[in-house]
Amino acid sequence: MSVIAHIESLSLGYSEEPLFSGLSLDIYEGMMLAVVGANGTGKSTFVKTVLGLHDPKIGTIHWPKGRPDEIGYLAQLSEFDRRFPIRVRDLAAMGAWKGFNPFSGLNAAARKKVDQALDQAGVLDLAERPLHTLSGGQLQRTLFARVIMQDAPLIILDEPFAAVDQNTEQHLLKIIDGWKKEKRAVLLVVHDLSAVLDHCSHALLLGNGAASFGTVSDVLSHDRLVAQGYMSASQASWIFRKTTEQQAAHV
Amino acid sequence: MFDFIVDMFSYAFMQRALVVTTVLSASVAPVGTFLVLRRLSLAGEAMAHAITPGVVIGFVTAGLSVMSLLFGGLIAGVGVAVLTAYLARNTILRSDASLASLYLISLAVGIFILSAAGSAVPLKSFLFGSILGVDDATMALVGGVATITLCAFAVMLRPLIMSTCDPVFFESQMKRPWIVDQGFMFLLVLNLLAAFKTLGTLMAVGLMILPATSARYWSGTITAQLGFGFLFALLSCWIGLLLSYVLPETPTGPSIVLVAGVIFGFSAVFGPLGLRSQFKAVRHT
Repeated sequence: MSVIAHIESLSLGYSEEPLFSGLSLDIYEGMMLAVVGANGTGKSTFVKTVLGLHDPKIGTIHWPKGRPDEIGYLAQLSEFDRRFPIRVRDLAAMGAWKGFNPFSGLNAAARKKVDQALDQAGVLDLAERPLHTLSGGQLQRTLFARVIMQDAPLIILDEPFAAVDQNTEQHLLKIIDGWKKEKRAVLLVVHDLSAVLDHCSHALLLGNGAASFGTVSDVLSHDRLVAQGYMSASQASWIFRKTTEQQAAHV
Repeated sequence: MFDFIVDMFSYAFMQRALVVTTVLSASVAPVGTFLVLRRLSLAGEAMAHAITPGVVIGFVTAGLSVMSLLFGGLIAGVGVAVLTAYLARNTILRSDASLASLYLISLAVGIFILSAAGSAVPLKSFLFGSILGVDDATMALVGGVATITLCAFAVMLRPLIMSTCDPVFFESQMKRPWIVDQGFMFLLVLNLLAAFKTLGTLMAVGLMILPATSARYWSGTITAQLGFGFLFALLSCWIGLLLSYVLPETPTGPSIVLVAGVIFGFSAVFGPLGLRSQFKAVRHT
């Protein structure tokens, strides 16, 4: 697998006390990395640092083949102006704005591409709707269509399931699985551990000043989740009991 | 009525005022639309006050010329914008509080210097504008600013839309996202200076904000809002000029902004996204 980004001895934080330090990991094609941790442990800061919006406190991010021209990005919904007067199709088209003629509207080919992305995200029938009429789930699907339009080798999703129902979450997870098959790397900030266990290959657990990286089964162990302050011992026991029961039921 | 209008525009100063306000409407409409969409309506008002000391110092040292107004205003406006961004980034104050502090100081300095210098220009004309002040140089300034503004919008419309709608996503897409933010602030200062002579420092931003906020009630797309914004600005200018001509004691700035205010009131009630449609929606539920 070809390495997209090589992260070396990374420390992040806003004050003298780092959120975590000494994190080294490779992001490679087809990798699906879940970033997990309690609130305020640096999940969004980490993905924004990979994106280039923050500078690392200490450490480096090296791009062996050069930083990709396009990095797919879906920020938290709270950072988005939902009253902005724009239609669904135009918002999705923003994902490929660099390739469009700045002095004209969408041509037929670009429009077809946008419609395909909207269709894949399940919101083609809403293409002409203004943004402020959408529900949280419909808006998130539209933003997924924008990520599809970006056609990027590395995709970063910051809490994409925070305001969506179960059906929408399942639909979006299918799209993410499709990206994995296309050998795109996905960084997924997420709180839903069952989604992590079912869909992600690797996990980065942040909390209590530490960063643990490895395969999902290695990192998301009962003891680590408790030690890094993600959940209490009783919560962790309950989650793992439920997960074991569900897996047994599937078999 | 026709004779009255022909008579009114037989005066050279009215012809100039008509041309200048028409061109000005085309220039300030897109700036106003994005000021409102970027939630900077009050920042625009503050910036209008912030350019005052630069304009006054330029006037006191070099007289009431367009160049002194332009350079003085640009230095003061850009200075306040940069200092605001610096304070917001490096101290506990947010940008709104930083800007409010700086524009108040700036406005006080401007009025203080103007009064202390015993200016020959009446304060009223300075604050509220005068159509008599529209000379060739002012026309050239307004024409130049409108050309720069419309060309800049043609190039940066998409980035501006993206940075307004989803600033974090935009930041992730651009190597130098600040160019669009600062470029927009520069256009704002330029347009305030262009509007300064006709509308005065206190009313200049009125022609930007009110047509833009009115346009919000009429359409859900940016393109239509830009169109409505221009139309409302144009109507405000033409009817405002007429009022100012009929009632010679009223300065043009407040006349124009008052008409814009009436259009705003009408839009807020009768626009498709205004109060009446809200009441209808409530009745049907």
